[in-house]
Amino acid sequence: MSLLEIRNAHLKLDGKNILNGVSLSVNKGEVHAIMGPNGSGKSTLSYMLAGRDGYGLEEGEILLDGNSLSEMEADERARSGLFLAFQYPVELPGVAGMSFLREAVNSRRKFLGEQELNHLAFVKEVRKEASKMFVKDEMLKRAVNVGFSGGEKKRFEILQMAMLKPRVSILDETDSGLDVDALKIVSDGVNDQRNNDNAIVVITHYQRLLDYIVPDFVHILSDGVIIKSGGPELALEVEKNGYTGLINAA
Amino acid sequence: MQHSIKDDYINSIRNYTNQFEDNNFRSIACKDFKSWPGPRDETWRLSRLGSLSRKKIKPIYPNLKKTNNTSNLIGSKIIHFVDGAYRDDLSSKLPSGVNLSILSDSESLKYLQKIKKSNLSNHPSTNISLSCTPSIIKLTVIKNIKVKDFFEIIYEGGEDSHSVHPVLYIELEENSSLSVIERFNHLSSLVMPLQLTELGNKASLNSIKIFNDNKKTHNLSAHCINLSEKSNLNSFSLIKGGVFTRSETHAYLNGCGAKLNLNGIYISGNKQHHDLTTAIYHDVPDCTSKQIVRGVLGGKSTGVFQGKVRVAQHAQRTDGQQMSKSILLSENASANAKPELEIYADDVICAHGATVGELDDDQLFYLNSRGVPMDKAREILIKAFLEDMINQSVDNSLHDFVFKEAELALSLIITKETL
Ligand SMILES: Nc1ncnc2c1ncn2[C@@H]1O[C@H](COP(=O)(O)OP(=O)(O)OP(=O)(O)O)[C@@H](O)[C@H]1O
Ligand SMILES: [Mg+2]
Repeated sequence: MSLLEIRNAHLKLDGKNILNGVSLSVNKGEVHAIMGPNGSGKSTLSYMLAGRDGYGLEEGEILLDGNSLSEMEADERARSGLFLAFQYPVELPGVAGMSFLREAVNSRRKFLGEQELNHLAFVKEVRKEASKMFVKDEMLKRAVNVGFSGGEKKRFEILQMAMLKPRVSILDETDSGLDVDALKIVSDGVNDQRNNDNAIVVITHYQRLLDYIVPDFVHILSDGVIIKSGGPELALEVEKNGYTGLINAA
Repeated sequence: MQHSIKDDYINSIRNYTNQFEDNNFRSIACKDFKSWPGPRDETWRLSRLGSLSRKKIKPIYPNLKKTNNTSNLIGSKIIHFVDGAYRDDLSSKLPSGVNLSILSDSESLKYLQKIKKSNLSNHPSTNISLSCTPSIIKLTVIKNIKVKDFFEIIYEGGEDSHSVHPVLYIELEENSSLSVIERFNHLSSLVMPLQLTELGNKASLNSIKIFNDNKKTHNLSAHCINLSEKSNLNSFSLIKGGVFTRSETHAYLNGCGAKLNLNGIYISGNKQHHDLTTAIYHDVPDCTSKQIVRGVLGGKSTGVFQGKVRVAQHAQRTDGQQMSKSILLSENASANAKPELEIYADDVICAHGATVGELDDDQLFYLNSRGVPMDKAREILIKAFLEDMINQSVDNSLHDFVFKEAELALSLIITKETL
C-alpha cells in the first residue's frame, strides 16, 4: 500500500479549474519531485493535500496510509503526519518561535500517544535540530517569520519538519531564494530525515536542488495534470529544453 | 429624544448641594449639569446612555464597611477608595516625598476651574462627580523625588442602584517620577471617576488603569492631563469589566518636548460596550504622542475607539502616531474606530491607521498545518495580538501582571465563542 495516494484529484478555485485529474502514488522511502510551469497548480496541489479551507476536492480521493484525508481538517492531517513546507511561510507577530514549535510538537506527540516533552528535553531537542539548520537561539526567541530573510524562513520550515518527524513532507519551492550555502544546509537537513518509513515530495523549478536531494521519480505538472513522469533524467531534460516540448508532446 | 436622567437622581444631587453656598465648587458644578449627553452629541453618538437613564439610581453616601479586596502586587503602596471615598484605614503609609491630602473648599474650586478650562467641562462625570464626591483627594510627588515603590489605587465598593464618585488629583512636581496602577472594581450601577493629572517639567509618570467593574456597572471615567516641558506620560488602559465602560481622556501637551503614550486595550464579550475616547492637544512645538489601541470582541459586544489629535498652528515638529486595530471573534460583535486629525501646523509627522477585522486566515492555516487545533490556534493568535502590544507599551516589570489580567478576560470570551 502506498504511503500517500492521490487519485484523480479535481479542484476548482473561484470557479476556475486548477487541478484536472492529478494521480500520484508515493511509497515509503521514496522521494518524488514535481516540476511545472508557473501557475500549473503545484502550490494548489500542496494546499489541497494540507487541507486548506476552500481547497476541497471536487472529485477524486487522497489517502495517507490507506486512510482518506478528505474528511480531515488541516490540523488533524498534520497530526497524522502530513507536513507542508510553505512556498511563502506566514508571519506570526507576537508568537515566539520556541513556543510555536512546542505547540506543534506537543500536538503531534499527543496524537502519537507520546508524552509531552518536558521543557528541558524539548529545548535540548530544538537546539540539536536548530544547530543543523544553522538557526540561532536568537531567531527562536523572535516572532515566527517576522523579519526573517527569505533563506531564514526556509531554514525554519525545515527545522519544523525535523521537529515534527512527519510521514509525508511536501516541500513547496523550499529551494527558491536560497544562496548556494543555504541550499546545501537545507538539502542536508532534508536528506538527514529521509528514511525507509517516510516519504518526501519536493516541488521545485530547479534541477540544481535535485543534485542534492536526489529523487526517485520526477513528475511534470501542467495545467493541473501530470503530463509526464520519469526518473531524475527528466529534470535534466526540463533544465535543457524547458517545458514547451513536453507540453506539446502531451 | 433627549436621554434624561430620572429626575429624582438629579434632584437628590441638588438637594445635597443646596446646603452649600452658591460659590462652593459643589453648587457650581451641580448648576452646570444640564442633562445627559444624547445621540445628538457627536462624541456620544457611538456610546448611548439610554439604558442608564432608565435605571433608578442615587449617589452613594459613603459608609465605613469592610472590604475584602486585597492587592496582588506584592510590595505596592496602596491607596484605597471605597464608595468613592478615600480610606486612610485601608491605605498604606506613604514613602517620604509623596503626600496625600484632602483638598479644601478653595482648593477644590481651583480644581473645578482647571477641569472647566478643558474640553471635559461638560462631561457628565465632571459636574456630577464634583457635586457629590465625598472629597477631592490629591496625591503629590515632591520635586526631584523618584518614587521607587509602585502605587496601587484601588477603587471599589458601591452597590446596585447607586452611583459612586471618586475624584482624584495627581501632581508630579518638577523632575519627579511615579508609577501607578489604578484598578476599578466597583459593584455600583454607576461610577463616574474624575481625575486631573499634572506633570511638572521633566516629570515622568507611568500609569496603568484596569477597568474591571461589575458586569452591571456603567463606568464613565473622565481624565484630564496637563503635560509641561519635557515631561513624560506612559499610559496604558485595559478595559474589560462593566456593562458599559467609557474611558475618556483629554491630554494637553503644554510644554515643549513633552512625550505622551496613550495606549489601550479593550476586551469585550456578552453584551458589553467598551469605549476608549481620547483627545490629544498639541499646543506647543516639539512634542510626541503615540497611541496604540487594540480591541478583541466576542458575543454581542460593541467597541468604540475615538481618537482626536489636534495640532495647533504653531505646534511645529509634532510627531503624532495613532494605530487602532480590533479583532471580532463573533458575527454579532462590532467595533467602531473614529480617528480625527485636526492639523493646523505644516511641519508635522502624523500617521494614523484604523482596522477592524477577523483573525487572519493565512495565520490560522499556518498553525493548523503544524497540527495545532483551530481553537488553540485562535487563542494563540489573539494572545499574541495583545501580548505584542502590551510588551510595547507597558513597563517591563509589569508585563506579566497586565498580560495575566488580559488573559483572564480573554479566557472568558474565547471559551464562550467556541461553545
Ligand atoms: N483563489 C484563487 N482563485 C482563482 N484562481 C486562483 C486562486 N488561487 C490561485 N489561483 C490560480 O491557480 C493557478 C495555480 O496556482 P498555483 O499557485 O498552484 O501555481 P504554482 O504551480 O504553484 O505556480 P508557481 O510556480 O508560480 O508557484 C494559477 O493560475 C493561479 O492564478
Ligand atoms: Mg507555487
